Amino acid sequence: MKRLKTLFALGTGLLCCGWAVADDALPQRWISSGGALSEWVVLLGGEERLVGVDSTSQHPPSLRELPSVGYQRQLAAEGMLALRPDLLLGSEEMGPPPVLEQLVRAGVQVEVLSSRADLASLQASVLRIGELLGRPQQARAALADYRQRLQQQAQWVAQAQAQQEQEAPGVLLLLGHAGGNPLAGGRDTAADWLIEQAGGRNLAQHTSYKALSSEALLALDPQVLIIADRSLSGEQAREALLRHNPALAATRAVREGRLILLDPTLLVGGLGPRLPDGLAALSAAFYPASHSTLAQARPTP
Amino acid sequence: MNPLIKPRALFVALGLLLALALWLSLALGPVSLPLADTLRAALRLLGLPLAGEGLAQTELILGQIRLPRTLLGLLVGAVLALCGVAMQGLFRNPLADPGLIGVSSGAALGAAIAIVGGAALGGLPPAFAPYLLSACAFAGGLVVTSLVYRLGRRDGETHVATMLLAGIALTALAGAAIGLFTYLADDATLRTLTFWNLGSLNGASYPRLWPLLLVTAAVALWLPRRAKALNALLLGESEARHLGFAVERIKAELVFCTALGVGAAVAAAGMIGFIGLVVPHLVRLLVGPDHRVLLPASALAGASLLLLADLAARLVLAPAELPIGIVTALIGAPFFLYLLLRGRT
Repeated sequence: MKRLKTLFALGTGLLCCGWAVADDALPQRWISSGGALSEWVVLLGGEERLVGVDSTSQHPPSLRELPSVGYQRQLAAEGMLALRPDLLLGSEEMGPPPVLEQLVRAGVQVEVLSSRADLASLQASVLRIGELLGRPQQARAALADYRQRLQQQAQWVAQAQAQQEQEAPGVLLLLGHAGGNPLAGGRDTAADWLIEQAGGRNLAQHTSYKALSSEALLALDPQVLIIADRSLSGEQAREALLRHNPALAATRAVREGRLILLDPTLLVGGLGPRLPDGLAALSAAFYPASHSTLAQARPTP
Repeated sequence: MNPLIKPRALFVALGLLLALALWLSLALGPVSLPLADTLRAALRLLGLPLAGEGLAQTELILGQIRLPRTLLGLLVGAVLALCGVAMQGLFRNPLADPGLIGVSSGAALGAAIAIVGGAALGGLPPAFAPYLLSACAFAGGLVVTSLVYRLGRRDGETHVATMLLAGIALTALAGAAIGLFTYLADDATLRTLTFWNLGSLNGASYPRLWPLLLVTAAVALWLPRRAKALNALLLGESEARHLGFAVERIKAELVFCTALGVGAAVAAAGMIGFIGLVVPHLVRLLVGPDHRVLLPASALAGASLLLLADLAARLVLAPAELPIGIVTALIGAPFFLYLLLRGRT
């Protein structure tokens, strides 16, 4: 048994050496900006290379311990250089452009990846991160897994709709702060994309996130309400929303108790690795009578 | 009112303060550079033939990041303070501020149009896109200011009080338009707009410095030539006219200089408040209201104050940075309150 352990340790050690040799030419000190991109870096095993993240990189919570380089559109050249990075990874939102130029001149590799919410962009981004980490296979595997889960998700929704002979439920997503002044996610938002993918029908017809009046909320009469609250979670978020917007009590969603909570960080920065779980939870709430287990949330690897 | 300090002493003190602020701004930053390296790199940048091995990074940080930023701070601080003096002289009110004639709100409106409209257009030629925001802010400031000036004119005379009220009205109107653009903006554009309104010297580069340098030089050379006229205006408009000054012309020049100067500063660095209000006031407290001293001293003090505020902005939260408008407001607002309360006792 002891021998086996030694052998195992030796093997691991050798493997690590192998990595180290292969890694030499790769960037070692990373700054990542953009929530979803940072999550992918961590998922592909690059967390120990991160020396700084932007303010939208909040997941996993361990990233909050790292030095923050501020908001991704307002990066500071010298502040980042103080972290001695080899690589700055970020989305097309990253800026301002003169700062990126200054970093390039200082010898920092600046990688701009797309954070658009479609699978082709996601594939390019994740493969590139894998390449930069020296782990292309892991990236491919993670992508394949991701695609598969989204596919299963779509099948599950189709199945659930067929089984229950039910139309897509009318949904509103309310993004709020401790229940006050909720903004409804309209077209061209991540909220809209999530609702559609989860098999719902977004009732909000405006673009981006806008406030709706109590009357408008009542008139839309959503069957399901998704609450994404930035400061409260759980039962508190539900209570706060209803307390500040008493008109909601008359909607079908509240009468039937169909208020779903969603982590608001899922809505920023493109498609992240936690998305399939979030979608699965939404779908399960949209079609409660369906007992298919495909979309059961499973722990993120 | 007797001045607290003799002008010559004040100029020596302000010169030293500015030199100190310049040096600190070049020597300190989130990247800690050894003092000897900084000195050597600085001398090499000045053209001295010193050995440069191992200095590449230091020279880059000094020459490409800190120096343009320091120059930007110098110019913005100086021009905002000069325009502040011009406005307080024109309105004969020590609480006047360049925002009164609508240049700030006009620039903000121009910026909002550029940020929200630029995002909607999307397909601008890449060579022009980075300058769209600055150009629109500058143009917005000029347009609104010229409107305010027009509204203040009647029968070939500029009524300062009418102009003040017109400035307030147009500022409110611009505020409504900005609000509308804010409503139309999506999340990302909204944050760009918010940050722009807080001002920043971040990302300064030489090509962006040139227009501001020209404008600041023009304003800094022109306004002191009108120092005597500004002194005469302190007595009142008709008194100044009787003393032989072309009052209407002077008023037009002051408004034009301010629109140009503040417009260029805002276009280069976003909205930076309180420098134009607080600095002239402070200098006046020290040395009295003579514009021949007040104008150059305010330029020196404004530049020093802005450089020191920027130093705080980039060091406090490093590696991130604080928008500089927050720092100047944190210094300026309590000082403004102090001025108000001081008058009571």
